[in-house]
Amino acid sequence: MKKSAILLIGIIAVAIGVIISTYADSSTYGSFNDAKDSAAELHVVGRLDLAKDMVYNPKKDANYFSFYVKDNKGTECKIVFTGTKPQDFERSEQIVLTGKMVGEEFHASKILMKCPSKYNKDQVEVKSTAQQS
Amino acid sequence: MDTVFIGEHLWPGKLGQFFVVLSFAAALLATLSYYFETIKDKPDGSWLKIARSAYFVNLLAIIGIGTCLFYIIYNHLFEYHYAWAHSSKALPVYYIISCFWEGQEGSFWLWTFWQSVLGFVLVFRAKTWEPPVMAVVMLSQTFLASMLLGVEILGIRVGSSPFILLRDAVQAPIFARPDYLSMVADGNGLNPLLQNYWMVIHPPTLFLGFASMIVPFAYALAGLWQKRYTEWISVALPWALFAVMVLGAGIIMGSFWAYEALNFGGFWAWDPVENASLIPWITLIAGVHVLLAYKHSGQAYFTATFLTLVSFVLVLYASFLTRSGILGETSVHSFTDLGMFWQLLVYIGVFKLIAFILVIKRWKYMPFSVKEEETYSREFWLFVGAVVLGLACLQVLATTSIPVFNKVFGTEIAPPTQVIAHYNKWQLPFALVVAFISGFSQFLKYKKTDIRSFYVQLGRAALIAALLSGVAGYIAGIYTNPMFMLLMFSSIFSVVCNAGILYDAVLGKWKLAGSALAHIGFGFLLIGAMVAAATNKVISVNNSGIGFGQEFAKDNNPRENIILYLNEPIKMDKYTVTYLGDSVSGPNTLYRVNYKVIDPKTAKVTENFDLYPNAQQNVKMRQIIASPDTRHYLWKDIYTHVSSVPLKEEATHEAHEGHSEEEDFGKPTIYTVKLGDTIAVRDAKIVVKAIKKGVHINNMPLNSSDVSVALSLEVLSKAKTQVVDPVFVIKDGNVYDFGKTIEDLGLKLRFTNIKPQNNSLELTVLQRPPAEKKWIVLKAIVFPYINFLWGGTILMTIGFFLAILRRRKELKTA
Repeated sequence: MKKSAILLIGIIAVAIGVIISTYADSSTYGSFNDAKDSAAELHVVGRLDLAKDMVYNPKKDANYFSFYVKDNKGTECKIVFTGTKPQDFERSEQIVLTGKMVGEEFHASKILMKCPSKYNKDQVEVKSTAQQS
Repeated sequence: MDTVFIGEHLWPGKLGQFFVVLSFAAALLATLSYYFETIKDKPDGSWLKIARSAYFVNLLAIIGIGTCLFYIIYNHLFEYHYAWAHSSKALPVYYIISCFWEGQEGSFWLWTFWQSVLGFVLVFRAKTWEPPVMAVVMLSQTFLASMLLGVEILGIRVGSSPFILLRDAVQAPIFARPDYLSMVADGNGLNPLLQNYWMVIHPPTLFLGFASMIVPFAYALAGLWQKRYTEWISVALPWALFAVMVLGAGIIMGSFWAYEALNFGGFWAWDPVENASLIPWITLIAGVHVLLAYKHSGQAYFTATFLTLVSFVLVLYASFLTRSGILGETSVHSFTDLGMFWQLLVYIGVFKLIAFILVIKRWKYMPFSVKEEETYSREFWLFVGAVVLGLACLQVLATTSIPVFNKVFGTEIAPPTQVIAHYNKWQLPFALVVAFISGFSQFLKYKKTDIRSFYVQLGRAALIAALLSGVAGYIAGIYTNPMFMLLMFSSIFSVVCNAGILYDAVLGKWKLAGSALAHIGFGFLLIGAMVAAATNKVISVNNSGIGFGQEFAKDNNPRENIILYLNEPIKMDKYTVTYLGDSVSGPNTLYRVNYKVIDPKTAKVTENFDLYPNAQQNVKMRQIIASPDTRHYLWKDIYTHVSSVPLKEEATHEAHEGHSEEEDFGKPTIYTVKLGDTIAVRDAKIVVKAIKKGVHINNMPLNSSDVSVALSLEVLSKAKTQVVDPVFVIKDGNVYDFGKTIEDLGLKLRFTNIKPQNNSLELTVLQRPPAEKKWIVLKAIVFPYINFLWGGTILMTIGFFLAILRRRKELKTA
């Protein structure tokens, strides 16, 4: 067999491996209800519920942060994150959580926030001392 | 209805917009003229004259755009959206330049600026290559210029102009007022994370890298177009090396910025935006190697052409990923969509199509070699190395493109949950193979090699590398992991092989120095990245977390943050860490954190240093933006950032009249005491010592029937013992008392009554509520041997630079 043929087979084999691995390692987006049925970690997209309690009390535990999120299907769930409260958390518009259900709580290993880019915030802050003429 | 607005400066914007349109028109004219010059049978230089003039007009217009934009930002003309959105009055002048690349428009400008600077070199240096190469470059300029247009053509908005007015960009009722500008107090300001000196130089370097990728691409296209199939390779080589050098330096600066200024605790996170810039870099690195293979042996022509072409297409793809908003949920720091999704796609599409059509049309003329490469030849292994790099790239590309895949096929696949592990699993073996090939191929010659001497050299280098990597693996503490050990071996092997070449270079074969240095740098880079990533250790681990339920302990979750109270030392790893207070510098609050190493035997302090991790507090947004501080040693770094701090209150509660002095004390407690009694309060003990009668009180003349009694109290606290004498007075039948305050204990003691009937005294104690103890939550990581990573990159950059010199010299002598 020619060397180039062997090489070609090798390339194809690795390329297939890469694609399979990408697919195998990839996760799914789901709801909290999906998470209840799944043992594996998955991604849940939702919105922060600002009306409910957000707990981060570093004096008690610097690595415990809990809050409530409503997923895109409207189910609400308590989220527990081992770590500090991310910067800018309250202003996030959308949250992508990676993690799994433990009992009635969703334990997140990663939190990704989509903040309204402050540059797109279509509000102009007006000088409070502006003269009303 | 026309409102006349007061205070607006419209001319810089109008001038700027004029330059925008001019740059687009000139770029288009230059593209067409260069095209006609190229396809003319007998070029008489007439088209060339027009093309060059148009090119210079384009260059001047681009400089004009930059000047207008700078003027607007520098003078805080907040009637312009760009200035309002990306700058503020408080911004120091040297960061105004950073405002240019905070927004998409400014970063497009940067790209088009670099591209025209490169065009300048080509106009003067490219000679016969100028018309076809510049035709391609100016086509790309035309596309970039269109991104800044911001005009509507047939109902479709093309581009986004940096000169758009605030009142046009944002809808708000205040814009109905002619004097709205007097009410716009300040701009939104530059993202604090960009206010870092690395952010002043990282984007320009990165964009110079991106921009210079077009030159080898343009040469490859020109080569196919003009049927100068083999000629373009030697000319394009120095340019390809330049692009790789600059882009590589730009990427690593970004990585260093992330490490120094961001608090994600590392230097590479496989974020899609990072990957997007890495992908074309890897393909062009592979491209450079096969260009060399072809140059020296006539093999691998198609691979060389393909990789050169695809690298630039991938640059465009990278800008599509980061600018179209498609990454959305998968990346933290991509730009938001400015409505240029389709425009960006057309840009990619056009260049891809041109390249594809030319390759197909010229396919049968391409110099494919009939003969197979020898196994023991350098060109064969250059080719294999390029293939491995290509596969590594494919893997990064596949996972990074998941959101694109979702968009195209309407699927909802999420990226891997363990992203870093997913990439490392693949990239580690690829790196291992690449490093190994980059080592032994140094002993191979083009075309044919003496097998015996090859194996002798290989064996010797492998032996040295095996010994060294054993020692290095032991020191770095990675010897339990076979994959890490293999990578360590192959990286050191590459360093050893190339060090041999470098030795020869120093002895006289100077032209070899570039490649040898670059490969040594690459080997060190791999060692540094692997060891730092594999053995970095969070030392602020806090396993004493309490109170929130037991299920936490089971999860084995790393508890990586620790709370430090002011002046209360905590032991982390071998360090005794104390939070010593904070200070304010500009918008930043610096937290002084002291690290000490105390020798347990002699109790001597062997190391003692302060780190100042800082946080910008934004009171209005109730958020902090934390930046780390790092102690650099030769062999390790200690990296520290605050992850949470108490938020400062917006306005301090000002003391004003009408409040009684006792308001900030708590509720009074009344004790009935006798001489010799002791009362315990929060931080102290109070002993009732004695009574002094008839004390004299200032400004209060007393007559004989009045009573004035002082109570002598001894107050014992941890710090000291002090005596105070509150006084009780009855004057003209009215009761008064003069209490005493002890500020440092927050105590106020009042002698409020005497009850002669049972011989007891009444003592009223007031105490301030305990002051909030100052605290910070901290994360600290030790990164061992990370300097190999930075040092390796520097070596690699120097290596590329030497290689450029060598290949340029070859062009001149050839």
